[in-house]
Amino acid sequence: MSEAGMTVVKPQMKSYIWLQTADGSIQQVEEEVAMFCPMICREIIQTGMGSSKNYAISLPQRVNPAILGLILDYCRFHQVPGRSNKERKTFDEKFIRMDTKRLCELTSAADSLQLKPLVDLTSRALARIIEGKTPEEIRETFHLPDDLTEEEKLEPLRNITDDPRIRLLNRLYARKRKELKEREKLKDVEVEEERADDRSVEDLLSFINGADGDSKGCRTSKNKKKNRRKKDQSKDSSSNNSNENQKKESDTLPSACPNDEVSDILAASPSRTSNSQDFDDAGIDDDLDPAKMEELDREVEDFARRLNSDWPERMQEILSLGPERRLVSMNVNGSLRRYSGLDRR
Amino acid sequence: MGDVEDPDLISDLPQSILESILTRLPIRDAVRTSILSSKWRYRWTTLTHLVFDDKCIRMCSDRPVVENCMVNFITRALFLHQGPIHKFQLSTSYLQCCPDIDQWILFLSRSDIKELVLELGEGEWFRVPSCLFNCKKLTCLELFRCEFDPPPTFKGFLCLRSLSLHQVLVAPEAIESLISGCPLLESLALSYFDSLALNIRAPNLKYLCLEGEFTDICLENTPLLVAMSVAMYMNDEMAECFEQSSKCNFIKFLGGVPRLERLAGHIYFTKYLSIGDYPGSLAITYSHLKIIELYQVSFEDMKEIRVVLRLIMNSPNLKELRISGSSTAVASVEAPNLEFWAKECPKDCTFKQLKVVKMTDMSGVPHEMEFMKFLLANSPVLETMSITPCVYVMDGRLNMLIQLVRFRRASAEAEIIFTR
Repeated sequence: MSEAGMTVVKPQMKSYIWLQTADGSIQQVEEEVAMFCPMICREIIQTGMGSSKNYAISLPQRVNPAILGLILDYCRFHQVPGRSNKERKTFDEKFIRMDTKRLCELTSAADSLQLKPLVDLTSRALARIIEGKTPEEIRETFHLPDDLTEEEKLEPLRNITDDPRIRLLNRLYARKRKELKEREKLKDVEVEEERADDRSVEDLLSFINGADGDSKGCRTSKNKKKNRRKKDQSKDSSSNNSNENQKKESDTLPSACPNDEVSDILAASPSRTSNSQDFDDAGIDDDLDPAKMEELDREVEDFARRLNSDWPERMQEILSLGPERRLVSMNVNGSLRRYSGLDRR
Repeated sequence: MGDVEDPDLISDLPQSILESILTRLPIRDAVRTSILSSKWRYRWTTLTHLVFDDKCIRMCSDRPVVENCMVNFITRALFLHQGPIHKFQLSTSYLQCCPDIDQWILFLSRSDIKELVLELGEGEWFRVPSCLFNCKKLTCLELFRCEFDPPPTFKGFLCLRSLSLHQVLVAPEAIESLISGCPLLESLALSYFDSLALNIRAPNLKYLCLEGEFTDICLENTPLLVAMSVAMYMNDEMAECFEQSSKCNFIKFLGGVPRLERLAGHIYFTKYLSIGDYPGSLAITYSHLKIIELYQVSFEDMKEIRVVLRLIMNSPNLKELRISGSSTAVASVEAPNLEFWAKECPKDCTFKQLKVVKMTDMSGVPHEMEFMKFLLANSPVLETMSITPCVYVMDGRLNMLIQLVRFRRASAEAEIIFTR
């Protein structure tokens, strides 16, 4: 009590609160400033801590001394009751100007101290940073790991832009993935089941072209022979196949599209999303090791190059611009067919 | 988390913060965060506030394409969404009467929707589907340009606190029963209605905003009303039928609002209030009324002047008064009865709290000047009185100033600010 009862006479008596951050350093702060933070306020009232250096209030781990300084600056300004809304707004705008790393730390710290106005302010600032940027820019700003596979990245966009090129690419990815997986399984299993595969070439091609129901069927059956044949087919005449695919795909695209549109929303969506569930994060990453992933990526890139010589750039464009209604002509190696423009209604 | 590269700054923030950031992004950007990294995947799908507007999709000149694009976007976003949706707002001029909207509302009615805002385009108005009336948890409803037709079995939204209907086609009985059927209703806004007669029974109503042609408004049961803003349009037929009416509009409107703190009346509001036989004295004192704004008051109509005086004299705690005139400086029809001010106006009336007075669009007609004189003489704590003459008055300004200078001021602090 004797510390609080002043022996030194000061013109303005202020009482101070002692705060300790996770690294052990202790700061003292004017009481009214500290009380602006709900968490500190509660600590003082409920436990009586903070009145002296030995009984400093321990702050949550997310608050380091530098950030604490910033937060106290904020509290010091805003706890003064007489300020106008305009003044507060101006202060906030200036206060929030800091680099992104600091901003994130500040948000985290303000949240742990339950200082809601500051959390709102920083959230708004972070939203402003994110808004309008491309995914690459956002990743760079926040150091986010680019750990989604190409297909996963396309998924949510696919649902929204409904670009047929993206859908086509996804189907090819899906097929490629399947083949790789089967190849893996072939290496492990000795016994082969005898089962005649009497599906015609047309059936197989129609599978590729989007009869998703069929694809589920053949995926679950462990028929190696069929797979091998399919694999052989695709391997030795892969270029022809892909060209044929291209043609077939292009053929079916215009007619399929209007129907696709309608069935998209109702029927195809479930099957597409179920397809995606097959290739869920957990499933794929467990089965394929990194080497296989690389191989897959390489093969996919190969395919992509065959589809269109400037696909990566095109892809970037599509991803950043959003739904693109018009298809540019596709140049396919070896195929003379040019597909120009897809008119939606 | 010691990484070789820079550590991830943001993905490990608590879920509530990430949601708060995503909510502040336009819906399109929020959806795109799904491809940032594995921690951001489908994070947006649990947002409880969804706002769809014209920014969702890329604009192009082809209107059917834009409509199609928008419908697809919203449908798929709703399909991917998980969890409850508490707020859904659709503000776009590209969609009007479209069957997909019905489906979305059906989906929302199953998702515990609490706030619904539908602002659609001109053209054919959207007819609100009956599934909307099954949204039991609705607390806030805003409809623009819709047809609203509650089924006969509909009793009301038991949780509704805020209701806004703008340019909505609805039968008057339906509105009345809707208002009475929402016991928790606190805020009501009705605008652009034609010839609406309304009895408002809302025991919890605090905020009222009316704009349109109202033939007969009676605030039958609104004891808790705190703020009111009314813009009354009138056409000549209505004015005529009003003249014959003997019920006092002032009492019907302002007779049951003892807790009123703020009143704003626009266009023909004071004229509307002046109609009917006034019983002579008012049983009610507006002891909480602090701000009165009355626009387009005609100072050539004695009845309107009486309404204004009645209001301010029954508001002992009035702090701020704003009045705008709508008189013309052209010679009025009858010679103004200036005796009124000397004889009928009570002398011992003091505005003990009145600090700020703003008078705009003043033409300098005699009654306006007398009113200013009256205020200046009876406001001991007045701080500023600002007067802005009407733009059409050029020569009369000097006259106004000459008169103003003569007026006695009860408050030594009073500043008269005459703005050009």
